[in-house]
Amino acid sequence: MRTLEKLTRRIFLKGSLWACALFFWNLLRGSSKAEELHTYEGTNFIGKTREGKFKNFYINFWKPMRRIDGKAWKLKITGLCDVPQSFSLDQLKSFNTISQSSRMKCVECWSARATWSGFPVSELEQIVRPQPEAKGILFHCGDEYKEYLTREEVNQERVLLVHSMNGEPLTDAHGYPLRLIAPSKYGYKNPKAILKMEYVSEHQAGTWSKIGPYSPDGTILPGTDHPLEFNKEPRRISGGEITDY
Amino acid sequence: MFKLSSLAFFLLLSLTTKLSIASEMIKIPSGEFVMGDDNDRYAVSQHKMHLDEFSIDRYEVTNAEFAKQFPEHSFWENAGNHPVTNVTWQEAQSYCTNLGKRLPTEEEWEKAARGEEARIYPWGNKRPKKKAHPFYSGLIKRRVGLNKKDSSPYGVRDLAGSVWEWTASEAEGKKVTRGGLWNFHLEYEFSKTFDCNLIDPSSRLPFLGFRCAR
Repeated sequence: MRTLEKLTRRIFLKGSLWACALFFWNLLRGSSKAEELHTYEGTNFIGKTREGKFKNFYINFWKPMRRIDGKAWKLKITGLCDVPQSFSLDQLKSFNTISQSSRMKCVECWSARATWSGFPVSELEQIVRPQPEAKGILFHCGDEYKEYLTREEVNQERVLLVHSMNGEPLTDAHGYPLRLIAPSKYGYKNPKAILKMEYVSEHQAGTWSKIGPYSPDGTILPGTDHPLEFNKEPRRISGGEITDY
Repeated sequence: MFKLSSLAFFLLLSLTTKLSIASEMIKIPSGEFVMGDDNDRYAVSQHKMHLDEFSIDRYEVTNAEFAKQFPEHSFWENAGNHPVTNVTWQEAQSYCTNLGKRLPTEEEWEKAARGEEARIYPWGNKRPKKKAHPFYSGLIKRRVGLNKKDSSPYGVRDLAGSVWEWTASEAEGKKVTRGGLWNFHLEYEFSKTFDCNLIDPSSRLPFLGFRCAR
C-alpha cells in the first residue's frame, strides 16, 4: 500500500513538472506569436475559395490566415544582404511602377489573366545590396507558406513584386499587401501576402515542393491548359509564360 | 585475374557507351513521307512530302557535350549524360555550326520520328500503357537513350519523351519546337510525332534542348 502511495505521488509530481514546463513553453510561444500577429487586424480569415467572384480567378492559401493590416505591415528583408531593412507599403509604392498583363497558370490545370502593377526586385536590391554568396530568396508569407526562387529567377524580365491587380490594390484574397508575379512559373511559385524576403546561400524547397509532387523549379511545362475565362476549354500550351491568349 | 578482366570489361563498356552517345548520326534516306495529322487541330494538315537524304543525331545533345564548347555551361553532378536544356535557339544553332552541322528543320525532325509509315509515335501507333511519372508536376530528366522503346524506325532515340527540341523552322516570329517529356502532368505524356509548339528563340527553358542534323 505504501509503495502504491509512493508511486502515485511520484507520478503526480512528474506530471506537475511536465504541466509547468508546457505552460511556460506555451507562454513563450504565445508571446512570439503575438509579435507576429501585431500586423493583423480583425478576425476575418481568408483561405481557399473558388466560389462567387473568385469563380474566374481561384484562390488557394496554404493555411487560412488573418487579414493583414497594411498600415502596420512592413516588408522585412533579411539574410545575406549588406543593408537588411524593412519597407512600409507607402515606401514600396513610391518605386517606379510597372504594369503588365500576364496569365497565372496553376499547377492544378486552371489559369486566369490579370493586369499586375508593381516593381522589379532589382529596385529593392539596389538598396539592400545582396551579398555575392546570396543565391536565392526565401519568401515567408502570412499563411506560413514559404517559397524559394533563385536570384536569377527573380531578376528575370516580367518578374514583379506587385501591390495592385487590375488597377486596384491587391485584395486580401489575392495576396494583399504584396505578392510576387513570375509569369513563366506555376502559381505556387508566385507567393502571396509576403511578410519577409530572406537572402540565402543554398537552394531551399518551398512548402508545396516539400510535401507534394510539385517540382522545386516550377516552370510551366508544355501540356494542356484550362483557362477559367474561356470556360475551361482545353488549350495546348508550349511551356513557359502563356502569351497566346 | 577475374577481377582484372571484369574491371577491363567495365572500363571498355563505359568508354563504348560514352563514345556511342557523342555525336553519333543516323542517315535518313531520300524519299517521301507523310507529314502532319488531320485529327489534331494543332498539327499541320496531313500531306505527303519529299526530303533529300540527311543525317540526324541519334541522341539529344548532352550537358557534357555542350560544356565542351561552352565551358561556362554548368550542370548538376552526374547529369553529364542528361540532355542539355536552358539554352537559347542561337546557342543551339552555334553548337551545331561549330561541329559542321545545323539544327534539323521540323520536316526532317518529323520524318526521322515517324518514318515512311506515318507512325503516331516513333515506336508505332499504340499509346504507351505505362505512365512514366504520372503524379509529378515537374521535369524528369534522365540519361539520353535510356528508354529503349522510344526509338524511331531509323533508330533515332528520345523523340517522344525526354525533352522538347529546337528546330531550324520558324512560324509567327517564333521557332518551332518538337518532342516531348517523360512526365504526364497537364494531361500530357509522350508526344505524338506531329506535335509541335512555337517558342520565342531567346527563351531558356528547363524542358527545351536540341539535336543536330547535317
